Amino acid sequence: MLIAHAAHTLTTIAYFLPVVAFLAWLVVTQVRERRRGRG
Amino acid sequence: MIQLAHGIVARADLPIPEWLFGWAAAMVLVLSFVALAVLWPEPKLERERRRPLPGGLGRVLGSRPVEILCGAIGAVLLGVVVYAGLRGTQTVTANFAPTFVYVIFWLGLVPASVLFGDVFRAFNPWRAIGRAVAWIARAVSRGELPAPLAYPERLGNWPAAAGIFAFATLELVASNGDRPENVAIATLVYSAATFIAMALYGVEAWTARGEAFSVYFNLFSRLSPVETRDGVVGLRRPLSGLAALKPMAGTAPLLAVMIGSVTFDGAAEAPIWTGIAPDVADFFQGLGLSPQRALEAAFLIGLVGAILLVYGFYRLGVIGARSVGGGFSAERLSRAFVHSLVPIALAYVAAHYLTLLLFQGQAISFLASDPLGDGDDLFGTADTQIDYGLIGANATWYWQVGFVVTGHVLGLTLAHDRALALYDRAKLGVRSQYWMLAVMVGFTSLALWLLSQANV
Repeated sequence: MLIAHAAHTLTTIAYFLPVVAFLAWLVVTQVRERRRGRG
Repeated sequence: MIQLAHGIVARADLPIPEWLFGWAAAMVLVLSFVALAVLWPEPKLERERRRPLPGGLGRVLGSRPVEILCGAIGAVLLGVVVYAGLRGTQTVTANFAPTFVYVIFWLGLVPASVLFGDVFRAFNPWRAIGRAVAWIARAVSRGELPAPLAYPERLGNWPAAAGIFAFATLELVASNGDRPENVAIATLVYSAATFIAMALYGVEAWTARGEAFSVYFNLFSRLSPVETRDGVVGLRRPLSGLAALKPMAGTAPLLAVMIGSVTFDGAAEAPIWTGIAPDVADFFQGLGLSPQRALEAAFLIGLVGAILLVYGFYRLGVIGARSVGGGFSAERLSRAFVHSLVPIALAYVAAHYLTLLLFQGQAISFLASDPLGDGDDLFGTADTQIDYGLIGANATWYWQVGFVVTGHVLGLTLAHDRALALYDRAKLGVRSQYWMLAVMVGFTSLALWLLSQANV
């Protein structure tokens, strides 16, 4: 039961991994650009 | 909570796991974004390009007699819904009213609008009756009728958003929202409210901005290459109708209600909701509500939550786009890009309700012959049955993925074209679209996750 629940949770995370990864890349890129602009 | 035939059957033998379809869809969006940046360097959709249908067909289809005929058909159907709901059997699947309202009208008019333009405008029973009453009043008064009130700018599309929210509440929250009698009563209440608003603000002004279903189907019709203007039906560049949309107060909340209500309908089948809904209902029962009302309150919380989630995600994209520069306010950007949510709303409706439309939609053939469910056979089709073999489970999934990807690519295209028109520097416009791309990928992932929950 626990394994089934964990598998279901991991599957749900897998669906949203692309958008989370993309948002993370976007934030990092924007922070770097701001630092370069200040530097 | 609708009990009509969704026809969901467990999927099997897909070549890859369902979540990998989500990753593939995300990659298609990213590749589309790159292709747009390279191959679409100037705005194309802001320029109007239109021509009437050839051979005088445009004039015939848009003529006043055709408009009157379509309006009469709409008014008759409204009457049949009310009569069947009040006087017919209260068995949901044997009465004309629930299937006509929730399937043929609510779902069937969406693809009809995308393919053939704003067909609801011609068949709108409330507009037809309102115009007929106004014509009679002018003839009887023999003088000038008092001018309607000016439509308040601040009101915008808020009444339409409230109307669609009320419909979603009846469909998804109310325990007996599909009971024929309740469908009829809701129709009568909505009709009364609509006629009062038309009397105050004028038929056309209310239809264009405040009447929920007119605004709802008009949004989808803007995807269509078919358009009626000044009584002539013509063709325009696809998507240009959306580029010409003039957003107003309440337009973004309306799109959030449209997408959010379908989101909740899908999420209501997911363990994430079925796990917490009883606890939320228990809380309301503790406040003194009956078990039925407590469950409805829980579902209402869920529906509002889903709408706020969708709206919040869109605003996040807008705030992100604002952060790259350009000097635009968040409100300006929100209105500038809200039209790109319409194809997403279409993708959600098409994907989630595909099987309901294909299966329960067939029921209209026997319900039209026996609208009251009392054994009539008006058109000789009362013995027909639903063919559940029309589409298989795997084919359904592929069509659903196709709708989701196509809708989001169209949304991306609209946002890209608008950014090129809005920003002075193309590079800044493209950078602002990174955030819209994130919004699109997010809605794509959410749509496919919701569709997969029906199979859990």
